[in-house]
Amino acid sequence: MLSVQNLTKVYPNGTQALKEVSFDVQDGEFLVVIGLSGSGKSTLLRCINRLIDPTSGKIFWDDLDITAASPSELRHIRRHIGMVFQQFNLVKRSSVMTNVLSGRLGYANPWLSLLGIWPAEEKQRAIHALERVGIADKAQSRADALSGGQQQRVGIARALMQEPKIILADEPVASLDPVLSHSILQYLEQLNKDGMTVICSLHFLDLVHRYATRVIALKDGIKVFEGLPKEIDRAKFKEIYGEDAQEVRATSLEAPA
Amino acid sequence: MNDKAVRRSPVLAGGLSLIPGLGQMYAGQRYRGGAILIATLLIAGVVVWYGRPGWSFAPIGIYLWNIWDAFSLARGRARSAFLPLLLGLVVAYGIGWQMIGIDLSAASGERAMAILRPMLRPDLFERRYELNRMWTPITVPCPTGDAPPAPPASRQDGEKRAFAMPDCAGVLETVIVSVSGMWPNAETEIWWETNIGDDKPLGGNENAPLIVETDETGSLTTTIRVPSTVLIAQPDPTLALTHRIYFDQRELTSGFQLSRNGRFVVQGMVESITMALMATFLSALLAIPISFLAARNLMSSSPITIVVYVIVRTILNITRSIEALIIAIVFVVITGLGPFAGLMALVVHSVAALAKLYSEVIEGIDPGPIEAIRATGARWTQIVRYGVIPQIVPPFTAFTIYRWDINVRMSTIVGFVGGGGIGFYLVQWIQINQMGAVGAAFLAIAVVVVTLDYFSAKLRERLV
Ligand SMILES: Nc1ncnc2c1ncn2[C@@H]1O[C@H](COP(=O)(O)OP(=O)(O)O)[C@@H](O)[C@H]1O
Ligand SMILES: [Mg+2]
Repeated sequence: MLSVQNLTKVYPNGTQALKEVSFDVQDGEFLVVIGLSGSGKSTLLRCINRLIDPTSGKIFWDDLDITAASPSELRHIRRHIGMVFQQFNLVKRSSVMTNVLSGRLGYANPWLSLLGIWPAEEKQRAIHALERVGIADKAQSRADALSGGQQQRVGIARALMQEPKIILADEPVASLDPVLSHSILQYLEQLNKDGMTVICSLHFLDLVHRYATRVIALKDGIKVFEGLPKEIDRAKFKEIYGEDAQEVRATSLEAPA
Repeated sequence: MNDKAVRRSPVLAGGLSLIPGLGQMYAGQRYRGGAILIATLLIAGVVVWYGRPGWSFAPIGIYLWNIWDAFSLARGRARSAFLPLLLGLVVAYGIGWQMIGIDLSAASGERAMAILRPMLRPDLFERRYELNRMWTPITVPCPTGDAPPAPPASRQDGEKRAFAMPDCAGVLETVIVSVSGMWPNAETEIWWETNIGDDKPLGGNENAPLIVETDETGSLTTTIRVPSTVLIAQPDPTLALTHRIYFDQRELTSGFQLSRNGRFVVQGMVESITMALMATFLSALLAIPISFLAARNLMSSSPITIVVYVIVRTILNITRSIEALIIAIVFVVITGLGPFAGLMALVVHSVAALAKLYSEVIEGIDPGPIEAIRATGARWTQIVRYGVIPQIVPPFTAFTIYRWDINVRMSTIVGFVGGGGIGFYLVQWIQINQMGAVGAAFLAIAVVVVTLDYFSAKLRERLV
């Protein structure tokens, strides 16, 4: 279980991105974080693996205090938390294979990995991860030669190399065509069914309804909702997104005009 | 401002324009009046300053136009400014032309052809030949006073025998030279080599080879005049020293070889390319650490680093703005003539250029992959290896190759001021009017530059 307690983040420039946010995530949940852009979703996800250090508050993973971890403990914690990004964050000039292998750096022999040497079993693991997302044939391509959807699948394969218990996905489909959104989210759903906890920020409400087991909503850094996806009706939606918001469906764009 | 023409008395306007522009101002066009005043004064000033009274037609023309314009303007109609503009340009170009001393006759066809024609026959290769050489010593000038007499001016080498008569001679004195045992009925070039190894032709007016044919027995006898310049480099021209007279026969065989100048061209080119290669390598090594200090994204974290950044950037910009040629002149003064001065000049210039390019690469690094790799639990060395290096090494390499390309071109130039390489030979050939060799050097430079250009472009294409 992941337990976030009174999490607050104030950036050096004074922006208050999170205010006293608390919630729990049970193992095996597919928790979706929603909120307008700028509401603090990315900040929240990055506090969990401490890519960003929170200003105050605690994050416990079972009995482990992530917020108090030393640098080497932190590396061990991060090994088990995969992360998927809106911009995929692949090294564009490197091959797909190298990008996927880099997900294994936390486990690898530091010296050999610096020389770029990987044991055969790790390469096998990488191929297997690519097979799980259906693009093993692209292993030797340069990352930037792939389409957006394929790049995000490489991003997922990289996270899989960590054998993660938790996957953090920061708007994983926001840069993709709506058609591809489902394909990517279905991979995450599959991993969730295989036992991984998924914490994912999303924009489109229909996707939230389709994939989330539970939802929290942020507004200006404050948690304004926590509950089941079906509890988000029009009124709640207006409350979270503001009076002017219009509900947009990812899938509605698919329909012929 | 009120720039509209207002109806006023045309005569008064014309009269006021005796002071240029005043009439236009009176007619309501202040800017026009002001511009005319300034232009008239400026052009009159130029004519007076350069002391060219012949050109005063221009300011006078503008002055008259100004009165006419003021007159018309008061009647509601402006005159086109074409005439004064034309006159102004005529003055600017005309006087400029005379100042620079543009002399079209200096670029006459005949002179150009005399220079260009030998360049079209680059002195790079020659037919391969077999050389049949003989020489004899000779003493110049004759020993005086108590000094021992000159040794005999003769020499035997197998069948071949050569001698000069008398055994010694002074500058411009006539000497009989003879050689035997050479190839029969063959052209033989006779030339002089001074005691310090300078070659002197003996034909024409000491400026053409002397060629004499051997008879059917392989012998020849002729007279030569000791060249006027053989003692020129001698500290004591009365000291008797041994020079040599050479007899060369050449028989063409099949194939080609580098000519004497061709060998210098190759040597100079190798020197230039090596100089460029070393300069690029050295400057890349120096530029890498500097580029980190010149990268805004790395240096914007604290006031101290910002100051360092600004200082480094300023130094780089200033250094880059100084031509490598000028830096080369400075280094020639410091380190003396030769490739080292050229190398240092290229290094200084390249460090500045490369550091700027590298720092821009660093500034353009995508932080996303770095964040992603950090999130996997990687150590910072691994983050650098997998997240940073793949992003910067290919563009660094591409820029470095590009720089080598530029440096090869520059290294041919720095030789002009004594910085070594092909330019060093080139400038000397130009001075002694060896245009065939100049042509060969041009050809070699062009071939090397174009080839490198092509391959470096190919290579860079692959990297980006
Ligand atoms: N590095 C940063 N420095 C200062 N302010 C930041 C930084 N990153 C994000 N913010 C601010 O924090 C708030 C929350 O941002 P973010 O977590 O990115 O929201 P979201 O992901 O929901 O769009 C925004 O107001 C944003 O401008
Ligand atoms: Mg975000």
